[in-house]
Amino acid sequence: MSTPIYDIGNDVIDQLAGLQAGSPLHVLRHQRDKVAAASQGSYDTLLDPALEGIGLDERLLVALYACRLAGAAEVADHYRTRAQALPVDAQQLAVADSGEPEQLAPGRLRAMLVFTRALTQRPVEGDRAAIEKLPAAGISTPAVVALSQLIAFISYQLRVVAGLKAMQAAAAR
Amino acid sequence: MSNVIKSNGFTNESLEWDAWLDVITLEQASQDQIKVLEESNPKAKTSDYYLFLAHQPDILRQRSAAFNAIMYAPGGLSRAERELGSLVVSRINGCVYCASVHAQRFEQLAKRSDTVQQVFDNPHGAGVDAREKAIARFSAELTEQPDAIDAAKIAALKEVGLTDLEVLDLIHSIAIFAWANRLMLNLGEPVFADGRPAE
Repeated sequence: MSTPIYDIGNDVIDQLAGLQAGSPLHVLRHQRDKVAAASQGSYDTLLDPALEGIGLDERLLVALYACRLAGAAEVADHYRTRAQALPVDAQQLAVADSGEPEQLAPGRLRAMLVFTRALTQRPVEGDRAAIEKLPAAGISTPAVVALSQLIAFISYQLRVVAGLKAMQAAAAR
Repeated sequence: MSNVIKSNGFTNESLEWDAWLDVITLEQASQDQIKVLEESNPKAKTSDYYLFLAHQPDILRQRSAAFNAIMYAPGGLSRAERELGSLVVSRINGCVYCASVHAQRFEQLAKRSDTVQQVFDNPHGAGVDAREKAIARFSAELTEQPDAIDAAKIAALKEVGLTDLEVLDLIHSIAIFAWANRLMLNLGEPVFADGRPAE
């Protein structure tokens, strides 16, 4: 994937926030169409099945876990559904959905979920030792970049969705 | 920049940033990597932050497009108020580097630094008037408890005069720093120009 084509009829943030095409908030949001297109483009590139060095299953489990830690239940549902559509390890899915990374044997996914927890919940405590555990678990630098961007993007996406849903609720009062 | 402000480990002085893992080199970069650096930021080719993210040029291209559209698009929320949202988020997340950059941008756009001192001292109560206070408070709330944002919190912004487009711009300005701060805090560290650690 280089630059994905933006399709306004298939916008994940619109879907997650429940914005109907043509509704006032949908029209307002798409006054900032460059933001909408780049948000969707980020989602598409971060979850590109062809991305090398980090599996789509690993990325969807990371996204699910990040949403769960942030309390974004409905955004978590989206990533759980996508993960369940893949051949995904049942124990790994259970850990991302309701467990702790330390329940997994040492390895790639455990290292990724530990890093996800740090970035999502205590970003200020990040240090060199934390990131160096990723290459130590066999994760390449480009895969570390993709992983970090994904976790940080989820923090962005769930806040945009939360803000839009609150705007929708405010308009309905 | 006006006066140097230092408070709680934060500063409005200019900082640099060093990556903890290997960055790409311009000599070995692909044409696409060079292109995305040039699209991202005028200083990207000499910035460890962009040289690290350029390991994934397609992802960086989309992130930069989102960032630049959110912070620089015309109309809607004033650029100074977008910077205020970003500054409060960076202060709460503890991102000394982002706070320094966006303190400077706020000062350049607003032509004053009183709010910067307030944000560094106590981001939750910052703001020189009701509108700034409402913007700072909402920025803190969406940063700290995104699942608790509701209609009443939007109404508080509307009461001080924000339009719907301004509210949307503020949400974007806050959310994009949930993204940016996490990268800056976990992929490397801020340093003064002479190499001393800045936190």
